[in-house]
Amino acid sequence: MSEPRAPRATSSGAGRVLIAVYAIFALSATARAGVQIATRFSEAPVAYLLSGLAGVVYILATIGLAGSTPGHRRLAWGAVGFELAGVLIVGLVTVLDTGDFPDDTVWSVFGRGYGFIPLILPFVGLWWLRRTGARR
Amino acid sequence: MIDALELVVLVAAAAVALFGVVTTMLNRPPGRPHRLVVGVFEALLVVQAVIAAARVFGGVQLPEQSTFLIYLLVSVCVMPIGLQFATAEPTRWGGTVIAVAAIGTGVAVWRLEGLWAAGGV
Repeated sequence: MSEPRAPRATSSGAGRVLIAVYAIFALSATARAGVQIATRFSEAPVAYLLSGLAGVVYILATIGLAGSTPGHRRLAWGAVGFELAGVLIVGLVTVLDTGDFPDDTVWSVFGRGYGFIPLILPFVGLWWLRRTGARR
Repeated sequence: MIDALELVVLVAAAAVALFGVVTTMLNRPPGRPHRLVVGVFEALLVVQAVIAAARVFGGVQLPEQSTFLIYLLVSVCVMPIGLQFATAEPTRWGGTVIAVAAIGTGVAVWRLEGLWAAGGV
């Protein structure tokens, strides 16, 4: 139905709103994990390392979405895909068994502590990457 | 921190967010009104941060002092960066970018209040 077209920039128009949301999550998740790891790492090493990993994934997604090269696009696909897997797996594990995970990672209980935005965000990200991508 | 000021800041955050979304709906790219609105909001945030920082360094003890100071720094940094990013590409979406920054700042202020209250001051 639609004509073939070259990929459009992910960082233009409404994409800038998405990048702003990712940037805020990158900042808050990384800063929070930094404080947790620096001040009380031994209390819950797994959860805090996971917080740190989530922060890094949000940073990579922000960079990927903000950039304009095919490499940036691949980075964004990888980071947002990992984010989706992360929030689903950690969400499921924390719903089934809260024992090993304190509730303070971004992805715990599907991101309940963050208004479930961490659950919605990767779907929006993947949709946006697909929408702006090349069409054959 | 200071209850009255905190309430003003949170209401201002909501107002800035609403303003940003409305300008997107009206198809207005970010311009002078946006800079003015963000400037007023930022002034309130700076006043709050200066008072809170002065009280912390003046001897108020908080259970999570470093976290509090990081949130305080974040609360004043997000709006200028958001405004810069919103105006760099002047499309209608700039207003929504400002709204996202205002909501993020509002959440930081909300957390600040929680961390302050935990100090029992």
